[in-house]
Amino acid sequence: MPAVSTEQLTKIYGEPNAAVTALDHVSMHVDVGEFVAVMGPSGCGKSTLLHLIGGLDRPTEGRVFLNGSDLSGLDDEAISAVRRRNIGFVFQFYNLLPVLNALENAALPLSLDGVDPAVARQKAGQWLERFDLGNRLGHRPDQLSGGQQQRVAIARALVAEPSLILADEPTGNLDSLASDQIAALLARISSEWGRTVLIVTHDPRIAAQADRILFLKDGKLVDEAVLESKDSRNAEIVADRMRRVGG
Amino acid sequence: MSVRNALLGLLEQRPRHGYELRAAFEALIGGEANWNVRPAQVYATLERLTEAGLIRPRSVTKQGGPEKRIYAPTKAGRKHLRAWLAAETEREPQRDEFFIKLMIALATGGAQPRKLIRDQRTALYRRLHSVTTRRQAIDPRTSLAHVLLLDQAVMHLEADLHWLEMIEARLDVVRRQSIPEPQPKRRGRPPRNEPSNGKEN
Repeated sequence: MPAVSTEQLTKIYGEPNAAVTALDHVSMHVDVGEFVAVMGPSGCGKSTLLHLIGGLDRPTEGRVFLNGSDLSGLDDEAISAVRRRNIGFVFQFYNLLPVLNALENAALPLSLDGVDPAVARQKAGQWLERFDLGNRLGHRPDQLSGGQQQRVAIARALVAEPSLILADEPTGNLDSLASDQIAALLARISSEWGRTVLIVTHDPRIAAQADRILFLKDGKLVDEAVLESKDSRNAEIVADRMRRVGG
Repeated sequence: MSVRNALLGLLEQRPRHGYELRAAFEALIGGEANWNVRPAQVYATLERLTEAGLIRPRSVTKQGGPEKRIYAPTKAGRKHLRAWLAAETEREPQRDEFFIKLMIALATGGAQPRKLIRDQRTALYRRLHSVTTRRQAIDPRTSLAHVLLLDQAVMHLEADLHWLEMIEARLDVVRRQSIPEPQPKRRGRPPRNEPSNGKEN
């Protein structure tokens, strides 16, 4: 059973006489533990796809399955609960709380949910150690480098053990070296720790770290690339495919 | 803030007529998508700045062209501009419209608070994507200032999304507490036998 799948997913915005089809009968899937990147020219529907899968928006037609369960059968309240339990969002900026240390920041989603503080700290510590921040647990954000803060923020997105990690342009603000590191970390989250990762990106270097890339254009799925091995030439291959799609 | 001081500053950079001034503001802010100032607003502001004695118009005619009014700051205008630049830039994030909406929804039952949170989240994610897309279209090698402006917008939108998560997680606690009401104030003079707030006369 895939972690995510869509069936004929369609989203139309606006009134019938001025309707814009953002997503046009898209059927796709992401396997458990797979890292998939969605690419395509501006306005191709990639963020709409991410938002529908993330339960942030309702499709006009078609269905979204998360771990096999159909989101369209759920009311808004239930979708919110599914989203909170199963989906972690990775943002571009860290937005850590300055008064909390790394451990407390990473544990925050669990603390807010009323999880036992010792359990919350233990889980947060586990992710921070995986991200080589085991010796920084007591440091506040102003005592951490930008890259370290970003890793704390990703730990925060993972601490509630979501099965699916979503990111919309996760590296928009970073220089290319830091971007590569974040992309490599997202790849490890899937390859080493078995989490499913789905991202939207315009950056071939980021997408090149994925297992598979879906190309969207005008709301339709138009191409797919499977990257068998992590090769330094992948970014060029991806960029070339992007050009052919018209991005 | 109003656009008043921005327009005054752009006139200090170079005297301009109304149309040029609007174009200069648009270029400064990185386009209409960031901040759309209508021509009527520019002309109304020029009028008010003139009335306040902060700028002065001068009529020029270019070889047979129509007469144009070029504006430049007065001495008072330049003083006003320096004072504005030197003053603290205020931000009031606690004046939050969504917070008020949520509290009114809780107080009146006029809307489902969780639905408000969900709809707001969806709207914020959409705006986040649109700002990110616009930022990516800008070349930081030539327009870093606009990249930084949009970075600020992204940071704020993402912070708002984190904040919504916090509210959603704790909404039931907020709901159980009563809606904040004013503390009843005692009217009239305090009784004689009570100390008057510890103040010595």
